[in-house]
Amino acid sequence: MFRDVTLGQYYPADSFVHRMDARVKLVLSTFYLISIFYVQSFVGFGLVTLFLLTTIAFSRVPLRSVLRSIKGIAVLIIFMCILNIFFFDGGELLVDWWIIKIYLNGILSALRLMLRLVLLVLGTSLLTLTTTPVDLTHGIESLCTPLKWIKFPVHELALIMSLALSFIPTLIGETDRIIKAQKARCASFDTGGLIARAKAFVPILIPLLVSSFRRADELALAMNSRCYEGATHRTQMRLMKLSIRDAIGTLVVILFFTAVFLTRSDSIIAQHLPLWIKF
Amino acid sequence: MEKIIEIKNMTYYYKSFTDDGESQDIYACRDINLDIYGGEFVALVGHNGSGKSTLAKLLNALLTPRIGSVTVFNMDTADKDNLFDIRKSVGMVFQNPDNQMVASIIEEDVAFGPENLGLPREEIVERVNWALNSVNMQQFAKRSPHRLSGGQKQRIAIAGALAIKPQVLVLDESTAMLDPQGRREVLDIAHKLNKEHGMTIILITHFMEEVMESDRVIVMNKGRIEMIDTPQAVFAQADKLVSIDLALPRVVQLGNMLLQAGLDVGEYCTDIDALGDKLCQLL
Repeated sequence: MFRDVTLGQYYPADSFVHRMDARVKLVLSTFYLISIFYVQSFVGFGLVTLFLLTTIAFSRVPLRSVLRSIKGIAVLIIFMCILNIFFFDGGELLVDWWIIKIYLNGILSALRLMLRLVLLVLGTSLLTLTTTPVDLTHGIESLCTPLKWIKFPVHELALIMSLALSFIPTLIGETDRIIKAQKARCASFDTGGLIARAKAFVPILIPLLVSSFRRADELALAMNSRCYEGATHRTQMRLMKLSIRDAIGTLVVILFFTAVFLTRSDSIIAQHLPLWIKF
Repeated sequence: MEKIIEIKNMTYYYKSFTDDGESQDIYACRDINLDIYGGEFVALVGHNGSGKSTLAKLLNALLTPRIGSVTVFNMDTADKDNLFDIRKSVGMVFQNPDNQMVASIIEEDVAFGPENLGLPREEIVERVNWALNSVNMQQFAKRSPHRLSGGQKQRIAIAGALAIKPQVLVLDESTAMLDPQGRREVLDIAHKLNKEHGMTIILITHFMEEVMESDRVIVMNKGRIEMIDTPQAVFAQADKLVSIDLALPRVVQLGNMLLQAGLDVGEYCTDIDALGDKLCQLL
């Protein structure tokens, strides 16, 4: 709980992927996500997997750290797959026993769904593993700048995000102190049923909430004292510069995306390919 | 010396509501008249609830006087158009360093002020480096503040205020939450800024030890100014200090006890080494 939380799951390393611009990584990740939902054939999925594995290799993040992210959604994946297997008809009837009917299409779609979810989670966690939350915030702020035209409070939201990030360690420390203080007064947090345990957290949450308001108040004073007046005439120290790395990364993703596009069964090229590729 | 802050017949009260919903005016500052001069090191002391922190917030227009006026560099704090310029010239550091951090990277936190001023990037970088250098924290620029000690965090907060390049720096109980070593670090920086950069420092504290090295001491009690004088002259009125719950610094207490014991060490010695020397001469 007390590792460096502000870094989220950031894996510090000095690699090609780490040093790419956060904005570029965000845009390319979006393309990657689109491609996951665009592919249909298993050859296409193979391509996406190949691309992901190559990117992981270039990011110098151990494969195990990336794979760890699947754990969180394993139950969801299994549940969705079961639903797909049993409630999808069409294609060859494989099993017909009692009220259970399993069709080939059901299995195929379950398999596709599983692959999509796994690739989705692995891809997005690679983004957060190679980019610090601070960089991500700056990237999102910069990418959303055009929204200022429709009076969307881009700067304010980015500031809220970065404030939240910088207060996480403080609030965790505070929570820890409150828990200890309550324990010293014989509060128990690990006995009783689920409801009793949930109730035990109320005396932690309330002081935490109260102190957060107090902190917010002081923070507002401190920000005012430092001449904060909103986004107007504000400048930024951080310089975001694109490098050759970003160009190479973009090129690779474009090539990959084209390849994925071609494997789609309705593309012109795929019509000339053997039939098995369409699955 | 030039007069930079002028407080005239100033009273500040805030409304407080009782459980019955009735409002009540609580006077935090009453009839304050005070001038602060450029390049001074002023200590503002008082017991809890004496109104010293309220007075601090009136200095950079976080609060505006109910009665009377506060003028900073000839700008009236009650005029909203002056807010930005007043805050540019009066920097403020608060008690809890954790509640003053706006970014999770030190360098970016220090840059917050200059960014608000709308300075060009090169100048922001220059000011951040200068400010971090002034508090001897340059080696931490790229790190995250939450692993630092209290004293180090407070030095970052000072750097954050310095980066705006104010003429006056108000330290509002900035040493209250620190351990003795952290307190020393912060005080040393305050004195260094005062001596080397001619910055006017207003140090608000309830530790009498911190008062000794200042040019003037302002003693507050129940919203009023009780004394304004040099540290020696203030310490000479020990009875009055005790009556408003302020203790003499231990060096001064020791000196007084030695005097009473018949050793002529001179009155109100504020320097422990000087006291030691005198004692050695006597023995």
